[in-house]
Amino acid sequence: MEIGTDITWDIFTGLLLNTLSFWWMMIPAVILGLVVGAIPGFSAANTIIILLPLTFAMDVEAGLVFMVALYSASRMGAGIPAILVNIPGTAGAAATPLDGYPMARQGRGQQALAISFVASTAGGLLTTIIALLAMPWLARVSFFMHSVEMIVVMLFGISLIATIAARNTLKGLIAGFFGLMIGFVGTDHVYAAPRATFGFLELYDGIPLVPALVGLFAVSEAFLVIEGESILTKRGRELMAAPSWAATFEGMQICVKRWWHVTWCSIVGLAIGVIPGAGASIAAFVAYQQSRSFSKTPELYGTGHPEGLIAPEAANNGVTSGTLVPLIILGLPGGATAAIMLVVLEFHGVNFGPSLFAERPEIGFGIFIAMFVSYVFMIFTIIPLSRYMTRVTVISTSFMAPVIISFTLVGSFVPREFAFDMGLALAFGILGYVARKTNYHVAAILIGVILGPLLEQFFLRAIRMANGDIMVLFSSRLGNALWLALAVSIALPYALDYKRRKAETSGGS
Amino acid sequence: MSDENSAELDAEPSAASGPRSMGAELVIPAGAVVFTLYYFLTIIDSPWTAQVSAVFVGAILIALVLAFMITAIRTVARGDGDWGFAALLQPLSYVKTRLYLLGLTVGYIVVINWLGFTITTFLFLFLAMALLGQGKRVKLSLSLAAALSISGYLLFIVAFETRFPFGPFETALEALF
Repeated sequence: MEIGTDITWDIFTGLLLNTLSFWWMMIPAVILGLVVGAIPGFSAANTIIILLPLTFAMDVEAGLVFMVALYSASRMGAGIPAILVNIPGTAGAAATPLDGYPMARQGRGQQALAISFVASTAGGLLTTIIALLAMPWLARVSFFMHSVEMIVVMLFGISLIATIAARNTLKGLIAGFFGLMIGFVGTDHVYAAPRATFGFLELYDGIPLVPALVGLFAVSEAFLVIEGESILTKRGRELMAAPSWAATFEGMQICVKRWWHVTWCSIVGLAIGVIPGAGASIAAFVAYQQSRSFSKTPELYGTGHPEGLIAPEAANNGVTSGTLVPLIILGLPGGATAAIMLVVLEFHGVNFGPSLFAERPEIGFGIFIAMFVSYVFMIFTIIPLSRYMTRVTVISTSFMAPVIISFTLVGSFVPREFAFDMGLALAFGILGYVARKTNYHVAAILIGVILGPLLEQFFLRAIRMANGDIMVLFSSRLGNALWLALAVSIALPYALDYKRRKAETSGGS
Repeated sequence: MSDENSAELDAEPSAASGPRSMGAELVIPAGAVVFTLYYFLTIIDSPWTAQVSAVFVGAILIALVLAFMITAIRTVARGDGDWGFAALLQPLSYVKTRLYLLGLTVGYIVVINWLGFTITTFLFLFLAMALLGQGKRVKLSLSLAAALSISGYLLFIVAFETRFPFGPFETALEALF
């Protein structure tokens, strides 16, 4: 029986058993991945760079298993501090605290972690299987996604600002547009003219994401939490006083019951991951926005709603397998980690492209099988730890706040190794503090900072290729279908809300 | 707003009920307008590709801020708010602590260039823990600060080879090993 276009059960089981034989390599890679994913500033990409001599020295299959396990685990690890202390480990987890952190504050951190782990694992496993089966078709997605289509994909993410603004329209929009303006700092994409850089050379490349993330979420959080003995609410403290395994099982059950939600959001992640240049942060924001748009209880999003946690976690893990599809089929890395994997594997004499599956099936299919096995390892490694990880939330803020400040500032230094970035993180921290104190949503600012420059880049590219004709935005069939889908997803919550209110009114009368 | 039903994730935990501090609420919009005007100044002579996005987004932002200012004026005129900055500062008992913590953080960023990662992290952690703990549990703060800064050294500098600024501690250990 054929599993995909080329893979057979014999090859599949052979590769599976072969991958399992690398368990000794996978376990440390998973643990390392979880750690680096959880520390802001560190990522799978820079860890693999640091460990390049090691991966070059390993044989190709061991190196592959090591890198894939580390990559998958780092995605899951990034959600842990996002839930427990409102600090996303990477930009891909920036949407996770929207509902994860309120759950932790309510003493439901253990449940939130279980939801995050199961949604991440299910999302990762499912998209790995889909990628394995549908690789040739998925690879074509990147051919159809040009600048115009990418603009609409970005707008899906940016429309989350409008969702956030629903509670206080003016403040939400001001925060989002302010974020977009900040995101435009740096040189322009065509003539490299510097804009609003305050004379700092360090800002010519634009606003670096990690200091923005660290400042808006972590530093501002540290300056706020000192007002209480712990981050927990009164009810949260009561719940945390009697921890039990039940919360973990409840979290797992919530995910299983919402299997369709996990499936749908992870496919959103896979589809976005396949597009080179897109990434986990876009996927997480788009999935969150889509999840809220089609939810029967959109008003619960942002208050500690499990579906609001499932969406970004399933999506950002869906991206993991997605980024590897164009790498394998076309030799085009879908992200930074995939690019480094390309370098390592080419060093070992692996040539990417469709012929890879005929010449080196242990690599072509092996990448996805290694990812599949890594996720299975991960869930068994991490689920038992959820109960103990949650204890972080009961630590006194007099100890927690200094640790958050010092280690996240240090994290903001790591990606570019500029001391300037630590100061920038503090500046964003002050902005985040003022925003939170006056009820402006920091997530809206961050969405602008992340997606603004990408939107500008694709917009300028599209306009230049069309010689300035703005109608290029509506020139492709796929693009128009996406515009329609965007309009529907924005209008739908209002239509559903109107229908619900109408039903309530007629029911009441 | 009860804690457990906190509908707004980023709503500050101790927001005072009563009249709104419109002065405080205008800090972000005012900052946004100043930044947008500065941005416009830097792109006056730039090619249109450098201007188009910012002019479009900046114009909308300024319009939104104007709309918010009208809302603020009406709120104050109705007596539902004032031009004060109380929301930014409350609870007032934490103002000094917060300023000291900010001072320590600025100091951390500046001093790390001379004293290096490990010693600066140790000093920052110890002083900040002592400040927030109001001088209580000093021994615990000292032990935690030492353990965390040395763990940080081992993780970031030894394991991940991050090029943090070197100080006497790192230089001495590098010479020894």
